[in-house]
Amino acid sequence: MLKFIGRRLGYGLLVMMGVTVIVFFLFHLLPGDPARMVAGKRSDITTIEAINKEFGLDKPLPVQFYLYLKDLSPISIHEDTPQNQDKYEYTELINLGEEVLVLKAPYLRRSFQTNKRVGELLMENLEPTIWLALAAMAFATIFGIAIGVVSAVNQHKFLDNFLVAGSVLGISLPSFVAAIIISMIFGYYLADWTGLGLTGQLYDYSPFGGKTLNLKNLVLPAFTLGIRPLAIIMQLTRSSMLDVLKQDYIRTAYSKGLPYKKVLVKHALKNALNPVITAVSGWLASLMAGAFFVELVFDWKGFGYVTIKAVESLDFPVVMGAVLIIALIFVFVNILVDALYALIDPRVRIS
Amino acid sequence: MAMKENVILDVKNLKTHFTSKRGVVKAVDDISFTIHKGETIGIVGESGSGKSVTALTMMGLLPKPQASIEGGDIILNSPGLGPVDVTKVDEKTMRKIRGEDIAMIFQEPMSSLNPVYTCGDQVMEAIMLHRNVSRKEAKVRTIDLFKKVKLPRPEKIFDTYPHQISGGQKQRVMIAMAMSCDPRVLIADEPTTALDVTVQKSIVDLMKELSEDNDMATIFITHDLGVIADIADKVVVMYQGKIVEQGPIFNIFNNPQHPYTKGLLACRPRLDVKLRELPTVSDFMEVNPEGEIVEKKDSKYKSAAFAVLSNLVTEDEIQEKQLKMLKDQPIIEVKNLKTYFPVREGIFKKSKEVIKAVDDVSFKVFEGETLGLVGESGCGKTTLGRSMMRLIEPTEGEVLFFGKNILDYNKKEMMQLRKDMQIIFQDPYSSLNPRQTIGDAIVEPMRFHKIGSSDKERRSIAENLLEEVGLSPNFYTRYPHEFSGGQRQRIVIARALAVDPKFIICDESVSALDVSVQAQVLNLLNRLKENHDFTYIFISHDLSVVKFMADRIMVMNDGKIVESGFSESIYDAPKSDYTIKLMNAIPHGNIEDIRRRTLQRKAKTDTYGY
Repeated sequence: MLKFIGRRLGYGLLVMMGVTVIVFFLFHLLPGDPARMVAGKRSDITTIEAINKEFGLDKPLPVQFYLYLKDLSPISIHEDTPQNQDKYEYTELINLGEEVLVLKAPYLRRSFQTNKRVGELLMENLEPTIWLALAAMAFATIFGIAIGVVSAVNQHKFLDNFLVAGSVLGISLPSFVAAIIISMIFGYYLADWTGLGLTGQLYDYSPFGGKTLNLKNLVLPAFTLGIRPLAIIMQLTRSSMLDVLKQDYIRTAYSKGLPYKKVLVKHALKNALNPVITAVSGWLASLMAGAFFVELVFDWKGFGYVTIKAVESLDFPVVMGAVLIIALIFVFVNILVDALYALIDPRVRIS
Repeated sequence: MAMKENVILDVKNLKTHFTSKRGVVKAVDDISFTIHKGETIGIVGESGSGKSVTALTMMGLLPKPQASIEGGDIILNSPGLGPVDVTKVDEKTMRKIRGEDIAMIFQEPMSSLNPVYTCGDQVMEAIMLHRNVSRKEAKVRTIDLFKKVKLPRPEKIFDTYPHQISGGQKQRVMIAMAMSCDPRVLIADEPTTALDVTVQKSIVDLMKELSEDNDMATIFITHDLGVIADIADKVVVMYQGKIVEQGPIFNIFNNPQHPYTKGLLACRPRLDVKLRELPTVSDFMEVNPEGEIVEKKDSKYKSAAFAVLSNLVTEDEIQEKQLKMLKDQPIIEVKNLKTYFPVREGIFKKSKEVIKAVDDVSFKVFEGETLGLVGESGCGKTTLGRSMMRLIEPTEGEVLFFGKNILDYNKKEMMQLRKDMQIIFQDPYSSLNPRQTIGDAIVEPMRFHKIGSSDKERRSIAENLLEEVGLSPNFYTRYPHEFSGGQRQRIVIARALAVDPKFIICDESVSALDVSVQAQVLNLLNRLKENHDFTYIFISHDLSVVKFMADRIMVMNDGKIVESGFSESIYDAPKSDYTIKLMNAIPHGNIEDIRRRTLQRKAKTDTYGY
């Protein structure tokens, strides 16, 4: 099992390297002069040059890439100066005279707009998004599997047809449309009854109480975000269950004298869950990364919200950092899911 | 009858129907039979004869809502519940009966066990369901059962998952599961059909032993009368939902009354004599205008024995053929062929070990002969066949086709080779594309190899081929799912013939078929060979089938050829232990053996006093 996870981690590292290469060169092909964006349009040549030098923009592209990698790598060699110490916030591992081998958090540089550290900026906003995605996914998974099973055991009956039709609607509804409709209905017209707001944050900041958690605000965005994965998980569970229920080992389970419910849950569902797990994992990663519209509509200050704002203002370091973090989330979730597979299905462990 | 009180299961006028859009199918049509305590009965019939539906009706496991019991009773004398009619009990009682009074094992051991639970868990589950015992006690009982069904290292098997053990072992786990609550009746639905003959024998022996030790009634369902010759006391022969004949096994084998039974007995290939043609069921019976099955009036054969005698190939003929064959040039010569599969491990895919599927094999194939290749699954016979066609790239060695090494062929020469060599696979269900019509499947290779000048001409060739393999030319536009296994295999044969090959490899081509259908397909293959002067390599795990087909036989084990020679000399004087083991595993249906066994059992029951 450890070997299995180790190998997956190795592959993950390779994927991350590939993404880094693509992201770096892609963003350097885009038009726009970063130095001008930092300094403003009216700055003089000397300021521009100074900025170019600071960001290394005057160097040839391969050198720039090397410097970028060096900034990103958790283990790297730097000159041991107070400026560098301040820039990277590293922990010294081995002193090599003038230079030091250091351990550090990947340095994603600073925002062109606010000059804040990109890493800090994104991490601050990642947490609300993670909660949003997890809540949406938990909702989608629990209800998706339950509805899928109900639908499968009622195959070809009215209830099944009704649920399948509903799921098609859920899949085809774009999230920004759903977001607007849902926020209008539940957050505005029915607000008195539901007690929910049109928009809201996970944390409320008040001058006296400080930071307070506001779970109520999570309900509508999570519900909206969960509709599509719910519909897909439901359909997957349904078709997978129908397939498994035809298998010979289900007949074996009945022939032992097991009651219907036990056959359904213990023998059928566990086998039917494999494709569902794949879907859940794929969706979880993309929800964390791509809740852009929903966050925008509900004014949920999260990862997607920040990224959209950064794209609007051509704040390259923030966008690049966002892409890298999204990639990292994908890789990490996939490894997690592979491990989960191996736990559920013993046949995966062998190969 | 004197043994009335010992009746355990009494089936009376049972009717089970299937309703579909196309109408009602009378899957089981008014059948009656009884099973006594400790008795073993065989239900014999081909696919679709209603034998499995009978079993599922007894278990209350009919697929709903398509199937319904339209009449009749199945009275079970349950030790716990007294006499109950299982066709009428409620689901809760039925659950108590399943596993506790009637247990069942199925045809496909590969798919009958749940892949995500260990073998031990699945058996324990049955015990804990019916017996009020702790997990610890259930585990002890499970391991005991594993010992009883002779699984090697029972403690280890307890913790393994089904995919980690062999097919025969899986079937033993299934048997252990069925036996776990001492059922009064054990139903075995084709328990050995998916297994090799050698494994089949050991499973049949095990079932025989268990039913004798536990005084349990056994229903053994099979398409092959030969299989139950060793085990059954009574035989019920089914055809199209009806029982056409039933009686003690000795009578059925010695003096079959119904033409269908006669056909079934005659159609199994025999080891002792060589036949020109296998008798088939349709040689014995026909359906009269009233829809009844009757003895064929102008039948070629008067009886099963006559069918054998009139078909014998004499010693002289065999010898003549052998001499003639050796004069010919070999069409294929295989020299030191090796096909290894590396076992890969690690990120860098460095191969550490190899599996020697074909390990230094050399032989010749003469023009016009049928060379038989026998061995158990995993012995490398399929890999050898595919390596010879370069469907699998061999690791080392030479395959000379008309004197030229095909391993050196370029692309163009390979194309020609694909036309000259054809292969007929085992599973007719997966070797036809379900989205392609029969006609397209046959025409496609012709178009590729530029046979026939127009699509119209190719179509007429294809229709002729369909006729030649005994199908209607009207099937041209139909899809594979409309056909039975035997018909599909005929279609596959027609497809192979389409490119006018010289050499055909039949890879277990009849193993998935019922014996009665198997006989027809084997006869077809032989007839085609005579008409077209083919050379065959016939691969099978069943020595009796190979003996019928082949002029020469090679016996393969562990990637090596352990013995080869003329079929007759191998049968008369097998040299290797492995060949003897294969030969002993063939069900004989020897009438003297059956008589002896019946008498033995009678003596035993007499001493018990009933």
